[in-house]
Amino acid sequence: MNIVGISACTAGIAHTYIAKEKLIKTGQELGHNVRIETQGTIGIENELTKQEIEAADLVIIAADIKVSGKERFKGKRIIEIPTHIAIKAPKQLYKKIEMELSASK
Amino acid sequence: MKGDLRLEMKLEEIDITKVITEELIDLNLKATTKMEVIEELTHLLYVNHCIDSEEGFIKDVLYREQEGVTGLEKGIAIPHGKSESVIKTTLAIGRTKQPVEWESLDDNPINIILLFAVKTSDATTVHIKLLQKVATLLADDEVLQSLQEVETKLEVINLLSKNNE
Repeated sequence: MNIVGISACTAGIAHTYIAKEKLIKTGQELGHNVRIETQGTIGIENELTKQEIEAADLVIIAADIKVSGKERFKGKRIIEIPTHIAIKAPKQLYKKIEMELSASK
Repeated sequence: MKGDLRLEMKLEEIDITKVITEELIDLNLKATTKMEVIEELTHLLYVNHCIDSEEGFIKDVLYREQEGVTGLEKGIAIPHGKSESVIKTTLAIGRTKQPVEWESLDDNPINIILLFAVKTSDATTVHIKLLQKVATLLADDEVLQSLQEVETKLEVINLLSKNNE
């Protein structure tokens, strides 16, 4: 699957980047193409492009705060979780998503 | 755009020792509780002139603690304070003799603590990018495991300066 997403935590210093790394690494291990935009204390980095969002089968928002630019994902399937889920159990998260997607097909 | 490029280049050149030094590592903390750990590491930041008020910094660290769990897995926690009291954006690292009670993702107690100190007005500097790199490293279970096995301060620095790009 093509997956895009956003990660953001309260302080925007540490958890944002741990969550990003886990989502990408685990996603790749499971054969997905994952791009994560970070919204941290330093601002937005790795901003998702219009093309990437268009090509995405799924959007994962791993955030403990309100993220900006959610309207970009209009019409997309969005999964919203707190960052600790992405950090603690990324594999289970993907498995659950895969299961739900195949069940709804 | 050009500014971004310059930042990237600088990041390559500046090594992690800009934010982590041996003086800011204590592998023999005396603390036996979470609060004592925060106080002891805060004091270390203070005597190394990284913060100008222990009280002010602790207040901001505890504020962040209220917002959510800072314990990761395998005994490692990353409390952090974004604070007016910070003079220099940096990282203090400590290890306790016995694990202390600390909310964590795997419900294990904590014995290694990385306390991030971030200057409020420091939103775009290289130092924050370096802390970000350290955070990214902590996404790797092997790094967490290796942190538990270090014997010297230098090993801590070497481990955290590993290039993860």
